[in-house]
Amino acid sequence: MSHDHDHDAITEGEQISEFDVLETAVRELAIEKGLFSADDHRRFLEWAQSIGPTGGSKLVAKAWVDPDFKARLLENGVEACKEVGIDWRDPTGTGTPSDYTYFYVLENTPQIHNVIVCTLCSCYPRPVLGMSPEWYRTPNYRRRLVRWPREVLAEFGLAFPDDVEIRVHDSNQKSRFMVMPMRPEGTEDWSEEQLAAIVTRDTMIGVALPDPQWTAAHAPA
Amino acid sequence: MSERRFSIGDRVTVRDATSLFHTRTQAFTRGKTGVVVEDRPPWVIPEDEAWGRDTEETGRVEPFYVVRYRQRDQWPGYTGADGDTLETEVSERWLEPA
Repeated sequence: MSHDHDHDAITEGEQISEFDVLETAVRELAIEKGLFSADDHRRFLEWAQSIGPTGGSKLVAKAWVDPDFKARLLENGVEACKEVGIDWRDPTGTGTPSDYTYFYVLENTPQIHNVIVCTLCSCYPRPVLGMSPEWYRTPNYRRRLVRWPREVLAEFGLAFPDDVEIRVHDSNQKSRFMVMPMRPEGTEDWSEEQLAAIVTRDTMIGVALPDPQWTAAHAPA
Repeated sequence: MSERRFSIGDRVTVRDATSLFHTRTQAFTRGKTGVVVEDRPPWVIPEDEAWGRDTEETGRVEPFYVVRYRQRDQWPGYTGADGDTLETEVSERWLEPA
């Protein structure tokens, strides 16, 4: 070995699924047919993968400080997104990089904690949260969250008393969801920008709660 | 199909129907009863969309609904709290009045 740390050989991945094979075949055919070039594909992928959860954080922070915006966001997610510069229909007209354009924001309350999953595959509100984390797409999370939600949340470090309803939302059709967590105490005089920093990806999936001490860029030791 | 067969608040049971080929109606919801909590617009059903019949001219368009189930009704021996719920989205053909 040419380097000194110990790990298994890095491979392409142990399992190539039928979908991987299908994607490669269709992509190569489309490139041969001239529908798009390999570079078009690469640039699209680079762009799609560069979208992070910043848009979602902005939506939540703005809703926390502006009750009128919050009402608009809960009423019509797709329209309200345009106010922070996110157009679910851009650039393809059908909602790419998500596959659809019905977007619903789920408001947490002291009585209800929302959490999202796609039991069928990996549906996720990509225009506002970017690409989903790897664990979100695993059969482990998908199968167990609907069946044992409190146990799965506990594995993420979250526990709720029995009088809080855990409401699991399965993105199994056309709608896409994002959780709006509750604004934590101690942030009363914070700016929208400060607030957005603590609205991390996992708080909008519903497997974490925002913590004034905790941003995605700087977790407490 | 423009008339909606169900309204918000209706109790509905998901049909335990055969699913040859593609469907988005999960097995774990079949035969389960819940309440309609949201309307969704009419869309081409996934059973047609999967075969490329994905326009209003070529595929069957139906209203969709968000159905909320009590987790206690959903799973035998559910270990969470009585109030816990699960919501899924279902096309009209899969629902019948409870």
